[in-house]
Amino acid sequence: MSVARTTVKGLVTYDRYRAYHGSTLLVPETGGMVWLVDMYGQFLHRWEIGGHSGGYAELLPSGNLLCTTFKPESASRKLEGASSRLVELDWNGSVVWEYRDERMHDGFLRTPSGTTLVISECPLPPEVARRVANASGFAGEGDGMSGDMIREISRDHTVLWEWRAHDHLDPEIDLCCPLCPPEQWPHVTGCVEMPNGYILVCFRACDSIVTLEKKTGKVVRRWGHGQLAHPYGPRLLNNGNILLFDSGYHRRGIDMATSRVLEVEPNQGRIVWCYEEDAPQLFYSSTLSNCQRLPNGNTLICEGSTGRVFEVSAKGELIWEFVNHLPQVEEVAPFTSHRKLCAALRYGFDYPGLGARKRKPGDMQSAPGTDSEPYVKRGTSHQNSTSSSVRDSGY
Amino acid sequence: MNIAMTMNAGLTYHDPLKADDGYTLICPKYSRDMWLIDICGRIVNRWTMPYLPAGHGILMPSGNLLYGGQFKTHRELGLPSEFSALGGIVMEVDWSGKVQRSVEIPLQHHDFILTDEGHIICPAQQREGMLPDEYASRLVGGLPGTEFEGKVWGDTVVEVDSRGDVVWRWLAFEHLDPEIDFLCPLETRAKWPVINSIWLCRDGDLLLSLRVASEVVKVDRHTGQVVARYGKGEIFHQHDARELENGNILVFDNGNHRPQRGPSYSRVVEFDSVSGKIVWQYTGSPPSDFFSAVAGGSERLQNGNTFICESLTGRLFEVTGDGEIVWEYVSPFQPRELGKCTNFAWRAHRYPFNYDGFKGRDLNPGKFAWENRILGSYGFDPCGCRPKC
Repeated sequence: MSVARTTVKGLVTYDRYRAYHGSTLLVPETGGMVWLVDMYGQFLHRWEIGGHSGGYAELLPSGNLLCTTFKPESASRKLEGASSRLVELDWNGSVVWEYRDERMHDGFLRTPSGTTLVISECPLPPEVARRVANASGFAGEGDGMSGDMIREISRDHTVLWEWRAHDHLDPEIDLCCPLCPPEQWPHVTGCVEMPNGYILVCFRACDSIVTLEKKTGKVVRRWGHGQLAHPYGPRLLNNGNILLFDSGYHRRGIDMATSRVLEVEPNQGRIVWCYEEDAPQLFYSSTLSNCQRLPNGNTLICEGSTGRVFEVSAKGELIWEFVNHLPQVEEVAPFTSHRKLCAALRYGFDYPGLGARKRKPGDMQSAPGTDSEPYVKRGTSHQNSTSSSVRDSGY
Repeated sequence: MNIAMTMNAGLTYHDPLKADDGYTLICPKYSRDMWLIDICGRIVNRWTMPYLPAGHGILMPSGNLLYGGQFKTHRELGLPSEFSALGGIVMEVDWSGKVQRSVEIPLQHHDFILTDEGHIICPAQQREGMLPDEYASRLVGGLPGTEFEGKVWGDTVVEVDSRGDVVWRWLAFEHLDPEIDFLCPLETRAKWPVINSIWLCRDGDLLLSLRVASEVVKVDRHTGQVVARYGKGEIFHQHDARELENGNILVFDNGNHRPQRGPSYSRVVEFDSVSGKIVWQYTGSPPSDFFSAVAGGSERLQNGNTFICESLTGRLFEVTGDGEIVWEYVSPFQPRELGKCTNFAWRAHRYPFNYDGFKGRDLNPGKFAWENRILGSYGFDPCGCRPKC
């Protein structure tokens, strides 16, 4: 453990006049729960999801929580972002809908029509694996390499649509990152439904995003190889652009580990907006993370590895910052820790999913084992404690 | 993590019974100042240099500070940003910061050694080391087409006397192998193999840490031959290779561009000098909690603990052999030169309280009452040693 990091927790920065007010959904990597906190970092609600997080969760407009879970005992693989179950829970935590697939991983997408796009591993034909290994410069024949597929599942578990990556990608064009072990190609981390029947898919191992035609599965456009480094979590914005978390793990050409959040115009492959820190090491996450554009123009960013969620303005100013301080739970695999987050999403007070539920921090006892600190108003003296003091940048 | 911006700075942990007692020299990047703090995190001395640092400073037994400065920036030399680590001047300053003597070594970078004869041995990116085209075509690795003006700049090690004349030169390409000492596949081919630390072993050999080739090599100074290689395939983009009292090699393994799936992590590794096997290592708990993509340093202390500098976050800490943290300090020095607001501490050195360099020196933190009030420890106060001034 590092003392300096483990003593920083809770709300750190809050610009009350420029923040997008609402409740923040936190998805920690371990612990078996998904939390809802208010703008001061006080807990409002939690769901027990029955297993560790599989990488993503979403509060639906109906008020139900849709999330992936992962039971470490039953896992045949120990991949980051792996999940075995997609489950929809109501506000009280009862299972409303469930879908099981042992080989799911990373994100999912619930479409407005009620179907869900899930990502899972699939077997890769040996000749494709060999071509990937040859083109990307790996030794061997690519034994044990798996591919990816995206499936659209209806509520009664019928597969409405399926897309297998290796049927439509070209191993000589979609090259793998040379430093990632050749276990999975192209490692889809997220997909979004674009207008006019297109789907945009984001690849971690190939460091790129592709647009494909849903009807035929054909790849229409590619972008990003050489510029992105292990992207996660694409989201479609109202202006048609894509928001992407470029994690910077195995970045090419510079010997520095730094993440950035990009807004990309997908047709021309142009970077329209970018958030990165001036001193590059201050913002870096090598694990699952996500970003979200908020209605007032700010962007919410979840730096997964460090458990830090923060909101920046369009100019890149820090508006709100929160460090995850949930209680220690048993470790799953060597790299997981109670502080790591997989995702964080902000829902405004007018979001239908939060509905008529007027939650106050007092409605829920503090999460056991934490000291969820109440906000200290400016003017009150506070002791020199080892926890973070709030920087009030309101006025 | 973004520790500095969350105001957790200064001394954050101290176990006086387990930690070694001594003084820590901190060399922040982007700042002309070097700071000496005591074990409680109070500032006891400050040196202000005429040049920005190109590396670090070393406190010598005489009490003077040996410092590598940035004489000309890469832009003034007409070189691209891949060469931004260039220094060019090694100087000796006294306790109050007055320059005693200095030597200009063109294209010197990162580290330096002062020998008993008063010579400086250091890595330098000089033109004599430029790779011949035939050799460069055989050099494996790196991003294709990223050579600078079509050439790969090879590293050299030079020994200069007090006047700056070169008395010995070692060219990397003459003694390294283009296929064995290959580049990391995601690195630029403008420079190779990037010697980022140099250490004089007791038997007279040089220990060089090759960053882009991700290994540590031991070079015989008389023949120039590579007598040993450590860590190829195990450590990545490492810094600060040094020989310990027991003959083993201690290295700060940064772990940037590590060929694995999981989160990034750094570790401090101790190699057996004969077998090359790892005999001790320290990783964070969880491992991703300890990560510095660039720079970084590690030292073995006289009580057996290891002092580690996690440069990018400015976190200095001391761990026991079991990996328990017994002292931790986050650098509060955030220089605003060059427009960078970060507490990046390129290197830090720990000196025991009875070090020769401190004999007769005034180590009263009261001399820096103002700095201590602003920058001194306020987070952790175990022994009530807050400055009363």
